[in-house]
Amino acid sequence: MERIADVMLKDQDRIFTNIYGMQDRSLSGAKSRGHWSNTREILKKGRDWIVDEMKASGLRGRGGAGFPTGLKWSFMPKESDGRPAYLVVNADESEPGTCKDREIMRHDPHSLVEGCLIASFAMNAHVCYIYIRGEYIREREALQAAIDEAYEAGLIGKNASKSGWKFDLFLHHGAGAYICGEETALLESLEGKKGMPRMKPPFPAGAGLYGCPTTVNNVESIAVVPTILRRGADWFSSFGRENNAGTKLFAISGHVNHPCIIEEEMSISFEELIDKHCGGIRGGWKNLKAVIPGGSSVPCVRGENMKDALMDFDYLRGELGSGLGTAAVIVMDQSTDIIKAIWRLSKFYKHESCGQCTPCREGTGWMMRVMERLVNGTADPAEIDMLLDVTKQVEGHTICALGDAAAWPIQGLIRNFRDEIEDRIKDQRSVQNIAVAAQ
Amino acid sequence: MSQKVSFTLNGKKIEVDKGLTIWEIANGQGIKIPHLCHKPTTAYRPDGNCRACMVEIEGERTLAASCIREPSEGMVVFTETDRAKSSRKMVLEMLLSDQPEVNISHDRSSHFWKMAQQNEITESRLPKIEKERVPLLDDSHLAMRVNLDACIQCGLCVRACREVQVNDVIGMSGRGHDAYPTFDLADPMGESTCVACGECVQACPTGALMPATVLDEKQTGDSGDYDNEVKSVCPFCGVGCQVSLKIKDKRVKFVEGIDGPANEGRLCVKGRFGFDYIHHDHRLTKPLIRRDDAPQKGLNVDPSNWQKFFREASWDEALDFAADGFKKLKDNQGGASVAGFGSAKCTNEEAYLFQKFIRQGFGHNNVDHCTRLCHASSVAALMENVGSAAVTATFNEIENSDVAIVIGANPVENHPVAATYFKQFTKRGGKLIVMDPRGQALKRHASHMLQFRPGADVSMLNAIMHVIVEERLYDQQYIEAFTENWEAEKNHLKEFSPEKMSEICGIEADVLRDVARTFAGAKAGMIFWGMGVSQHIHGTDNSRCLISLALMTGQVGRPGTGLHPLRGQNNVQGASDAGLIPMFLPDYQTVTDDGVRNAFTEVWNSGDFSSQRGLTVTEIMNAVHEGSIQGMYILGENPAMSDPDVDHARDALAKLNHLVVQDIFLTETANYADVILPASAFAEKSGTVTNTNRQVQMGRKAVHPPGEAKEDWWIEVQLAKRMGLDWTYSDPSEVFAEMKLNMRSLDNITWERLINENAVTYPSLSKDDPGQAIVFGNGFPRQNGRARFTPASIIPPDDVPDSNYPMILTTGRQLEHWHTGSMTRRASVLDAVEPEANCSMHPKTLRKLGVEPGGHVRLTTKRGSIVVMARMDRAVSEDMVFLPFAYVEAAANILTNSALDPYGKIPEFKFSAVKVVKA
Repeated sequence: MERIADVMLKDQDRIFTNIYGMQDRSLSGAKSRGHWSNTREILKKGRDWIVDEMKASGLRGRGGAGFPTGLKWSFMPKESDGRPAYLVVNADESEPGTCKDREIMRHDPHSLVEGCLIASFAMNAHVCYIYIRGEYIREREALQAAIDEAYEAGLIGKNASKSGWKFDLFLHHGAGAYICGEETALLESLEGKKGMPRMKPPFPAGAGLYGCPTTVNNVESIAVVPTILRRGADWFSSFGRENNAGTKLFAISGHVNHPCIIEEEMSISFEELIDKHCGGIRGGWKNLKAVIPGGSSVPCVRGENMKDALMDFDYLRGELGSGLGTAAVIVMDQSTDIIKAIWRLSKFYKHESCGQCTPCREGTGWMMRVMERLVNGTADPAEIDMLLDVTKQVEGHTICALGDAAAWPIQGLIRNFRDEIEDRIKDQRSVQNIAVAAQ
Repeated sequence: MSQKVSFTLNGKKIEVDKGLTIWEIANGQGIKIPHLCHKPTTAYRPDGNCRACMVEIEGERTLAASCIREPSEGMVVFTETDRAKSSRKMVLEMLLSDQPEVNISHDRSSHFWKMAQQNEITESRLPKIEKERVPLLDDSHLAMRVNLDACIQCGLCVRACREVQVNDVIGMSGRGHDAYPTFDLADPMGESTCVACGECVQACPTGALMPATVLDEKQTGDSGDYDNEVKSVCPFCGVGCQVSLKIKDKRVKFVEGIDGPANEGRLCVKGRFGFDYIHHDHRLTKPLIRRDDAPQKGLNVDPSNWQKFFREASWDEALDFAADGFKKLKDNQGGASVAGFGSAKCTNEEAYLFQKFIRQGFGHNNVDHCTRLCHASSVAALMENVGSAAVTATFNEIENSDVAIVIGANPVENHPVAATYFKQFTKRGGKLIVMDPRGQALKRHASHMLQFRPGADVSMLNAIMHVIVEERLYDQQYIEAFTENWEAEKNHLKEFSPEKMSEICGIEADVLRDVARTFAGAKAGMIFWGMGVSQHIHGTDNSRCLISLALMTGQVGRPGTGLHPLRGQNNVQGASDAGLIPMFLPDYQTVTDDGVRNAFTEVWNSGDFSSQRGLTVTEIMNAVHEGSIQGMYILGENPAMSDPDVDHARDALAKLNHLVVQDIFLTETANYADVILPASAFAEKSGTVTNTNRQVQMGRKAVHPPGEAKEDWWIEVQLAKRMGLDWTYSDPSEVFAEMKLNMRSLDNITWERLINENAVTYPSLSKDDPGQAIVFGNGFPRQNGRARFTPASIIPPDDVPDSNYPMILTTGRQLEHWHTGSMTRRASVLDAVEPEANCSMHPKTLRKLGVEPGGHVRLTTKRGSIVVMARMDRAVSEDMVFLPFAYVEAAANILTNSALDPYGKIPEFKFSAVKVVKA
């Protein structure tokens, strides 16, 4: 609880200066807000400097897992063994609740394009692919327009930003499968195959796209790179608690007065985030029932535990057994049927399971069916523990993290709202008993 | 030296070879980790999707699939922790919930049930999948059933189809719990492009894919329900796949591929589903003697109703009758009046006995077999220039090649299992150069497809070699060390510039140059060829060119290099090795050499026979017409179908005074017989066979011959005894022992070894040597150890098109049918898939003729005329007709030309001028 400053992030410290699309998103508009300024000078400082600076900034991946970005980059081979290296940007933003990357791509696309150049350069990649979600049509158009502008202006291409670095950037449009947001499934899909996760190891840094060294990064992780390098690692790391540095886009949805996407300092308290930016909880703080703080795959948290929570990786994970994820904050008030809400997520994961590995394919379907009975109260009380057992058997035993993502919300539900589940079963039984007695 | 890695497995520190998976290592230590999607054979890569083999690795949050994970240095692995065990059990429990009950399941002995039992999973707490989501039965295929209610989405069938057999028919469609194997664009299996190799059926761990013969009408079955299993060899092509025959109630119930050196568990439709011909009711069960009141000899006997022509006889009577006929001819007309055709379908021992019977019994060399009709010209060229008639490397060596040429061969249909290795080679990035006047299935995998003018082989190959000389792409060092006559070849090739030759062969000069550079630039290149090369009057020249091409680029004798004529019959290599050839005794020792003959007569304990080379298949037929040959012993051969200009051959058969036919069916040839001796099919006898790879393999008796039918070697011995020969063999092993006395190729290969090891490749250098896959790394079995360049000139085909016969007829085989069809057309699955005589023509040609696909055409050549159904096939050139020769009702060889190659004496089956009209 060492956070001191109790003030809103200042406009001058915002990385995304056009997140609401109120200004010109074209190249000239982007330039006027500072993008593409002296990109060449940044590249001139060399790969090692960039990677070190990124490490020093403390940026953790914004796609959900929170792996240190600079460290990830440093896994890429320093020298090519003959194979090219690739940067792949994961713009397949499909997690329920998460909608931050689309704002970057449709309103502030040049931050991403410039980030792609710098990050690729830092990883010795001459080619970068952006894999964008199938449903993001307008976002694709805006981003493609930005890429075209950048090519035309010589910012990227044969001699990108006159740095002497050849750089090509391709935008690939997905076909609408959630699983393609998993990094190795994304690579499969990009190669033209059915999007199914690969076994790890080998990890993409060793053998990724077309078997070549590849780094897959989230849109936000790449889009913040130019600003971090311009303003310095110290500036970025001055925000947030230690190990949770920087500013971050929060996407608050659900039962708040003003749902919004807002760039804020990491480690801001939940209360501050909601009160300052969202106009408070609908019906007041007492009306808060539960929060899913990091997108649909992290466990939910009871409202009373959330109010003082710090919105960062370590606090949500360590203190609340949940996670920051993508910082897609889903707020639910007392009117919510929390069991049904989690059932809906189970249904989502069942629908999106690729079917490759047994625990996920069989488990997601089975978990959804039991959740269905919990919703209407027809389950046997013993099934609650069995459900918990199955989620533990799915978690950590699947090829990719989709199995985990399907298991965690249910675990969060049972951990936090077991009483409510049991009450519903009891109620249902007494209703049945009354019905039987009445016959 | 393989690299080592040390890690800790269940608390025990061990050091293992790098590259092994945790599952493999644990399995080697006796730790049983369940597995479903993993098939522990070399052909299948692990996939790690079923998660039934999870183990715990210290320091990792998630469990790891042991089948695909390799240990790294210092890793600490636990296979038996509660977490690992319970996760594995949960996987089985999840899968079990959707399975049909074990006692009504499609395969009660499936691998899945074994795994469930091993892990004590008998029931599932989880509810079943909704009924409406279970796919319906697909019984559209005659040979296989698809019951996806038992599917566990392990993807083994997909790997079987795409990666092992490389047929690319099965894919996984849908996602989540609705992911299922799908044929083509969700077609029923029977209507898809499936070629029925059955690899998926053999791979499936649950019985979702099953051989139809194992299931009852309710779709329940048990793959473990057989009385015994016999390991043997497939009776069809020269690949020599090892098979396991599953016997139930004295019949073959189903067949699986096993891990032979040539096939590594793979089979094709013939080997897997073509076995039931041996149970066909046309099988001969008693000796038959032609009735005195039989109608005139001709192609007039119905194999199911022969009573008007033949009468049943006891073995004694029939054998006496057969031998007496021969004796009479021998006594009255001399030994030369009797000739013999053996068969490449019988064992080595039977082939050896057959040539011995003729040579010893009749004192001459007029004994031949169907090699004359397939690779005789290749053998002639190889003997002449390399000094050995066998392949220099196994076809599996393509694994180590980077460029390969396949010319005049259609392995996808004729050597399907060999073709799987070729296709895998291209998937790995190997460059495949296909040369064939007819487009074919390998085209899709080829880097270069040279669809040249039929009969223009020499011009094309010489042009390619011209480029290699002109651009100095040849291997000077190799040429100097291991060859002779190079200067003559070099000078000869000057005349064959690609520009000039492209007019003849129809391939652009640039393409010829590119092929020359590609092959000459190979690190390791192989050349494969088939009948398209050999069955020409210039067949020997064609082979000479291929040999020269390999020699000048130094592509012989190293891993991934070599010359490989793909042998057609299951034992054509072995029958030739055993001396079933008029000019050679066993091991290609020439009959004209007194010392050689002496060595044999010493073992045979009899006098000299003849120093004259004998007559070949077609020459014997001509001699019958001339009257000098009046009696024949034909074992398992069907010249009334297989000889060129077959009417001529049939007339000859009808003319014979005494014809003894030994076969399993009343073949077209048996129509003309005076006595028919009922023999055993391959699955009904023991003996060795030698495949295209020089692998001598053990065939074992699986079922008894029907009725009174006998093993061929027994019949041969009985006849010999009646001819007064001193034969005492009581078992094929005794024959094999005698063969070894004068066959150096069998050194270190003993009957006992073959019993124990199933296969040994010759040459085998020691008692423990499984045999040499590659030979001639240090020179050739010729004078000075040098191979020879023999220049070849262009000879046009014999029967060229003119205004009366404007098109070109070429013949060949289809995947489902074997040679003259006597076996495959009696195999229920094969005959059902390809029931009708057909020919193929280009769509434009058909349109010009006004014939719809499926309509009938009349094909006429200078020899004869047939009517046959026409198919549309773009693979055939516009001026060509392709005609398979398995169909008696429209026998291709009525049309073919009997003109011979002067060296190999092989007829020109591949080229006849033909007239086509709408029928």
